[in-house]
Amino acid sequence: MREPFLRFLVIIHERTNSRLQGPMTNSMSDEELMAQVRSGVGDMLGVLFERYHVPLFNFYRKLTGDRGVSEDLVQEVFFRILKYRHSYRVDTPFRAWMYQIARNARLDFLRKHRSETSWEPEMSPAVEPVDTAQQSQEAVLLHSALMRISEDKREVLVLSRFQGLKYEEIAQLLGCEVNTVKTRVHRALQELRQIFHQLEGGKLMGRKGSEGVWPNPGSVQ
Amino acid sequence: MNCEAIGELLPDYLQGRLSPELASEVEKHLPGCPMCGEESALWKKLALLPEEQPSPALQSRFKAMLESYQEGRWEKTSLTAEKRKTAPMLWGLGNWKQMPVAGVVWACVFLVCGFLIGRHTERPIESTNNPEIAALHQEVAGMRQMVALSMLQQQSASQRLEGVSWSTRLQQPDPKVLDALLHTLRFDNSVDVRLASLDALSRYAGRPEIRHELVDALQERQSPLVQVALIDLLVDMHDQNAVPQLKRFQQDPKIDPTVRKRVDWGIQQLTLN
Repeated sequence: MREPFLRFLVIIHERTNSRLQGPMTNSMSDEELMAQVRSGVGDMLGVLFERYHVPLFNFYRKLTGDRGVSEDLVQEVFFRILKYRHSYRVDTPFRAWMYQIARNARLDFLRKHRSETSWEPEMSPAVEPVDTAQQSQEAVLLHSALMRISEDKREVLVLSRFQGLKYEEIAQLLGCEVNTVKTRVHRALQELRQIFHQLEGGKLMGRKGSEGVWPNPGSVQ
Repeated sequence: MNCEAIGELLPDYLQGRLSPELASEVEKHLPGCPMCGEESALWKKLALLPEEQPSPALQSRFKAMLESYQEGRWEKTSLTAEKRKTAPMLWGLGNWKQMPVAGVVWACVFLVCGFLIGRHTERPIESTNNPEIAALHQEVAGMRQMVALSMLQQQSASQRLEGVSWSTRLQQPDPKVLDALLHTLRFDNSVDVRLASLDALSRYAGRPEIRHELVDALQERQSPLVQVALIDLLVDMHDQNAVPQLKRFQQDPKIDPTVRKRVDWGIQQLTLN
């Protein structure tokens, strides 16, 4: 009497806990996983989240400069993936589709908030300890410079440099020619160089003035 | 090659997608040109920007969203709606976790099952345990009786009082205990103990043999306090058989005047009824 009942409980327990996580899902491609999500297996979205939530967060972090907004947007992307899962065409690159959603989510966000507040990006990057003080100094300058170049150029630069998208993918994403993307990348680098120089000049002057009071901890005494 | 031509090649060069020949052309140009060289260096330096980690809240928010999706607290899309139309029974059973109504139904089913199982398993336990509990009851009663009897024979009045109170815990007192209580009522040295035993015995005053003993206990040697308590008890019991004894007691010249008044009142009460 007791044993079949216990077995029944075990089966229920196993069924509720079988979240299909493990080596099998790790070897699946994004496209296979998304095809599963499309057919209603929501658990697979968890695997895609694990793969892409950090890159997406950094994508938004570099575009908006705001951690809170970036997290909201990442959440929005996965919400939309689930909501519009049927619009994913099986066997088409998942990453391109995801970045399409990511771009749209951000554009919608800008549209919604542009009228409300003139919202300024955080300029101070959360720079983790780097090898030398000079390197971290450079990273701060680079981040500030990146945040100051125009948005369309920054987007292309971030997509190609940090998100690892090929120019063809970016072109498809933006709906333009590959050569336009390449030109924009080059322009972005030119702009970055100019702003970086300006910042570096200002920073150097500021450092000269304060050096006597606050010795650089990284410099050799 | 001039800067303009190099600038066109640079993006491809930076992503490492130039042919070796073109790449070497670019590499030849870069050291001599500060602008192109710096742009290339900046691209590499962008690696200094660290990859940041989102807060753990993002993960939990995502999980909450996914759960709400899986539990069906999510707009029903056309595909699932179609499925539901074609196979409603299967849908309900297969995705029972995701459907709130089915969840409630299953909860009720489990509740009823649990109730039935509980009732089924309770009965045998009761029947098997009954004799044991009865035996236990008997044992406890025996213990109390023993305690009462042994304490009633103690030297100290307080212990004998405790013995009397032990006897009241017995639901069905043994004749031995009743005898001991009656003996205490008559012969105990302490008035308090005698009064306590009278109290204890009053609980069994409904029994004729006890009442007979109580009537008989009304003697001139008793303490006036016990005599008054006895008279009150007999009046309370409306015991007509007590009247002759009371009358005899009334004739006794040695009794206390207060007790005599009480006896007069008692006889009056009993004869009135």
